[in-house]
Amino acid sequence: MISEALAQGDSMIHRLDPCVRVVCAFGVSFALALSEQFGVLGLYLVFALVLVALASLGAGPVLKRLKPVLLFVLMIWVILPFTHEGEPLLRLGPLTMTRPGVELCLRITIKSVSILMVFIALLATMTVATLGQALHRLRVPDKLVFLLLMTYRYIAVIQEEYQRLLRAARFRGFVPGTNLHSYRTYAYLAGMLFVRASLRAQRVHNAMLCRGFNGTFRSLDSPLSNRLNPVFMTGVSALTLVLVVTELLWK
Amino acid sequence: MHISEGVLSGPVMMAGAALAVAGTAVGLKKIDYDRIVHVAILSSAFFVASLIHVNLGPSSVHLILNGVVGLLLGWAAFPAIVVALFLQAVFFQYGGITALGVNAVIMALPAVICYYLFSPFLNKGKKTVFAASFLAGAGSVFFSCLVLGFALYLTEKSFFEVSLLVVTANLPVMIIEGIVTGFCVTFFHKVYPEILPRPRGRSNP
Amino acid sequence: MTNPIIKLENISFAYPGATEKILDSLSLEVYHGDRIGMMAPNGSGKTTLFHTIMGLCRPDSGTIEIFGSPVSTEQEFQAVRSRIGLMFQDADDQLFCPTVVDDVAFGPLNLGLSADEARDRAREVLATLGIADLENAITHRLSGGQKRLVALASVLAMEPSVLLLDEPTAGLDNGVKEKLVKILNHLDISYVVISHEFNFLTAITDRVFSMESGKILSDDEVRIHQHEHMHKLGNHPHKHV
Ligand SMILES: Nc1ncnc2c1ncn2[C@@H]1O[C@H](COP(=O)(O)OP(=O)(O)OP(=O)(O)O)[C@@H](O)[C@H]1O
Ligand SMILES: [Mg+2]
Repeated sequence: MISEALAQGDSMIHRLDPCVRVVCAFGVSFALALSEQFGVLGLYLVFALVLVALASLGAGPVLKRLKPVLLFVLMIWVILPFTHEGEPLLRLGPLTMTRPGVELCLRITIKSVSILMVFIALLATMTVATLGQALHRLRVPDKLVFLLLMTYRYIAVIQEEYQRLLRAARFRGFVPGTNLHSYRTYAYLAGMLFVRASLRAQRVHNAMLCRGFNGTFRSLDSPLSNRLNPVFMTGVSALTLVLVVTELLWK
Repeated sequence: MHISEGVLSGPVMMAGAALAVAGTAVGLKKIDYDRIVHVAILSSAFFVASLIHVNLGPSSVHLILNGVVGLLLGWAAFPAIVVALFLQAVFFQYGGITALGVNAVIMALPAVICYYLFSPFLNKGKKTVFAASFLAGAGSVFFSCLVLGFALYLTEKSFFEVSLLVVTANLPVMIIEGIVTGFCVTFFHKVYPEILPRPRGRSNP
Repeated sequence: MTNPIIKLENISFAYPGATEKILDSLSLEVYHGDRIGMMAPNGSGKTTLFHTIMGLCRPDSGTIEIFGSPVSTEQEFQAVRSRIGLMFQDADDQLFCPTVVDDVAFGPLNLGLSADEARDRAREVLATLGIADLENAITHRLSGGQKRLVALASVLAMEPSVLLLDEPTAGLDNGVKEKLVKILNHLDISYVVISHEFNFLTAITDRVFSMESGKILSDDEVRIHQHEHMHKLGNHPHKHV
């Protein structure tokens, strides 16, 4: 269920230092989210497409990942142009499409799709294990990194426990419906997950103690040296800077 | 329940991020080294449980259970939820980086509030426990809707209709969350009361 | 005779809130070079015994001596824990790091080795166990057998003086079991192994103990069948009276 298929590739992006990718993803995403001008947003969209291309992920998997956001975008196009007040653009029977409404939708569409493409190209192309290491090297607090890695580690284990519990319930004739009995059954299944999670946490904590854990997290650092790192970093920063300045001058 | 990327205005986005950082920092501070594994694995359980779909008439909704996490973890629910949301972003692209802050506040702040409001009633009789956890479950979804609506409204006055829509559309979800949280917590009471927070004063949340 | 590495004397233990004593005036001595098997029914307290030795369960009465000195406080246990390698019954409890190499290096890093030294140590142990190719594998994607071997590697990487293995063969196929037998027979280390498999235990241990009502039954009390024969319960340790 949780797949890290995109992390398997061997593109130029995959070979970059994870820290460089994390920093770039943050920088570009926020700069993008704060932009308003259509010209600039269009350039960001192109930028995001280039990053996806550099990660050579293929249109299929990327579109699949974009599905939730595309559905959302569809939804706002149905609502916002008609509810937003302002200069009318088009009349469709009793409904009026307004110019500000359409502009808002267009802006949201470009921003959300581009931000997610940047995310997919730069971050979804590494495993969470690598991501955690990168965050650690970027001085994110140890506790938070540990929390992230540990949560990630046990998702698959708990997911499997859930499947087993659900199967057992089905074998005993449980047919989910819209009724109190179903909700109670799901509540017990979910409750069981939390109980088992807590019991497992005790055992895992014990296992950590057995291997000499005493409250400090140490980890293997493995920076990837790659001549492309500084080049990529400089390139992305320069481009982002140009776009930010353009945005500011446009006003 | 979340806000998609690219919707929020700069100030709202930044305020959300700042609040999320602060909440996470407070939460992390409250977790000592003996508890961190517990928080992490409960966060995994939260992640998995929020993928459970329950029927609602002809369609289905997924569980949220931020109320349960809040009751179990107190302030520590904040970082636990942040981490789970981040992993959802990584695996499913429900969101990206820039909306993470606001979305974290939407989910985690109500969890912490419900902890303070309702956890004092968790060591009472069975009926009180069910009622308190029903309110915690339904209440945390309600608060989440309010925060979400507020963030949208601050971004664009014209989002007011959307905000109202969010709250009304989530009314059935609130009821389901209330019921599920109620049964879930009474289940804890029966099989494993140690998982519930001890009465405050003796341990820190 | 030298001093025992592990010495339990009159240990009694009940889980908090429970009345039943899981360990009841139990005594056990493990000496350097011992290769001990433990075979006892489910729920008889084998895992609890191991956890008591590691200081994860604190006995209600009795004394524990590890490497010749008494241990009772968390500090004292912390000091000896890394020299006893406990392999947990469920490998998923033990492998909590995202990748195999992180996991195997976790112990050595805690022992104060530098990142490079810890990585080398991890690689070395993985190679000894013949699973060097798993180095960068994601832990939760391993098969059950691979998880066991990595768990063993993570314990061996601490270079312990004695191993406590809690059902290392549960859920393993014969191939991996044989591999484990070979590995254990080549290790120059004392160990206590819990298993429900008689053949496995006889292949790797010199003595097999059992547990009953919270006490250890040593081989003086239990005649283990070293010979093959057919009779009811022939594959369980039992007395020949
Ligand atoms: N955390 C716990 N709290 C309360 N009771 C427990 C706990 N862990 C184990 N027990 C009880 O202690 C007894 C001994 O358990 P233990 O796990 O030591 O048995 P075991 O010999 O290892 O069994 P198995 O062969 O199934 O692994 C069992 O009756 C069990 O129910
Ligand atoms: Mg056991």
